[in-house]
Amino acid sequence: MTVNEIMDMLYGIFHTTGVFNFQWKLVVMWGIGSLFMYLAIVKKYEPLLLLPIGFGIFIVNFPLVPLMGYSHGHAQLLQIFYHYGLEWEVIPCIIFLGLGAMTDFGPLIANPKTLLVGAGAQLGVFITFTGTVLAGFTLKEAASVGIIGGADGPTTVYLTQHLAPQLLGPNALAAYSYMAMVPLIQPPIMRLMTSQKERKIRMRQLRPVSKQEKILFPLVTAAIIALLVPSVIPLMGMFMLGNLMKESGVVERLTETSQGALMNIVTIFLGISVGATMHADKFLSWKPLFIFGLGLADFAVCTVGGILTVKVMNLFLKEKINPLIGSAGVSAVPMAARVSQIQGLKYDKTNHLLMHAMGPNLAGVIGSAAAAGMFIAMFD
Amino acid sequence: MKKLWFPIFIFFLTMPVPLFADDFLGAPLIPGGQTIQKTKSRLEMKSPLSHDEIVVFYRQALKEYKDIKFRDWKDSTYIEDDGKLRWHSITISKQDKDETYIVIVKDNWTWIIGTLVLRFIGVFVVLLFLMVGMYISGIIISRSVKKLEAKKS
Repeated sequence: MTVNEIMDMLYGIFHTTGVFNFQWKLVVMWGIGSLFMYLAIVKKYEPLLLLPIGFGIFIVNFPLVPLMGYSHGHAQLLQIFYHYGLEWEVIPCIIFLGLGAMTDFGPLIANPKTLLVGAGAQLGVFITFTGTVLAGFTLKEAASVGIIGGADGPTTVYLTQHLAPQLLGPNALAAYSYMAMVPLIQPPIMRLMTSQKERKIRMRQLRPVSKQEKILFPLVTAAIIALLVPSVIPLMGMFMLGNLMKESGVVERLTETSQGALMNIVTIFLGISVGATMHADKFLSWKPLFIFGLGLADFAVCTVGGILTVKVMNLFLKEKINPLIGSAGVSAVPMAARVSQIQGLKYDKTNHLLMHAMGPNLAGVIGSAAAAGMFIAMFD
Repeated sequence: MKKLWFPIFIFFLTMPVPLFADDFLGAPLIPGGQTIQKTKSRLEMKSPLSHDEIVVFYRQALKEYKDIKFRDWKDSTYIEDDGKLRWHSITISKQDKDETYIVIVKDNWTWIIGTLVLRFIGVFVVLLFLMVGMYISGIIISRSVKKLEAKKS
């Protein structure tokens, strides 16, 4: 064997390594992936999602890794997760099943008027849509960016996958990041929008809700959503099934699986698949940065929308609602409700708003799903 | 008259899209169509071709655009662009037998803002219905529970 032949062989081997195909853009993506892993591990921001997402970003941004493509006509590992989980829109629906199995709708059933707060808190979704169109996005992309303000991860993933799958990574990241930052984003807006007197409003204790009402609730909700916004029934149907399983009390094993093992499994697949969509070639442009900027504004306007809705309702109500619970209309269960409770306690140490805020918080989930349904109906 | 137009229509249909000479804001115009009214933002035309022939023409002419959808309504076919084209919609009437009316509308903010406002109100309506449903079911259940308790006692 000659020296030249050995050199050729070495050159051939070198070609098959990632080092030869290295690009500087990949380093930027490692940084982004590491940032989200840092937020998850050190800051404990939505670790269940940001950790697998961060790792997904990190691992797909190495040259030649067989993860998000096809080898000899066969889909690679993360491509399979992505295809069956997200392209088929399965994972968000299963997550909603688990969420339904975890959720107690009692506070919402006891005070149904808080549903309107959940609707008002979708204000930012529609305003952001306009801003996004102005920035040059298509209408479908604008709808998928707007829904970030609803602060509902699975709904954002579901709608984005449906309308603008190319924005899945940045949209999901923005949604989950801002959900984690609710305690930072909302309090200044809440203080700005309310007076000292309003923050001290005491609300009457919620009435007890019977088991029959809790069983009937998912059926009534599923029926109304199916009639009015059928396009979003895959999400809401699963949400209500999970809740019916929980409230009926007759399928404990299924309920436990839905809220535990099944939820955890799909969360892993969701996180890693979303992260894996963010390859440097697709991600490094002005659009994701813009989405992050606009997402923050979106979130803020949604918070304003919820508080404003309570203020308008108070003009007509005998028993006033504390506007601090309006901010919980942005979904982000139960973080947003906890923020209302903490802010309320700051101004009156005996005024516990948590259960009152859970009403708009749960209404926000239904409201953001309804808004997503409106957008799907608009484009389908 | 229709027979005369048909070969011309087929000729235009088989041509590549860029060769359609006439357009309004980039929306191809049906060959042989007669303009009824034209402003900067709206064009109304009539054509001796049937509704179905015109739909076939537009399907062919717009097949390259992925953000275009065709909605089959009772009175018309509505072609809508969700992308970045300068026109927003093309409405092709179904009702008239001898002539088909086509209306092309410019992409406009009135439509976008209008649809967003309506959909925002729509979210309120959905949750309002749910609220009413919950009040009604709450009343029914609490009454039936009270009756059951009264019977027991």
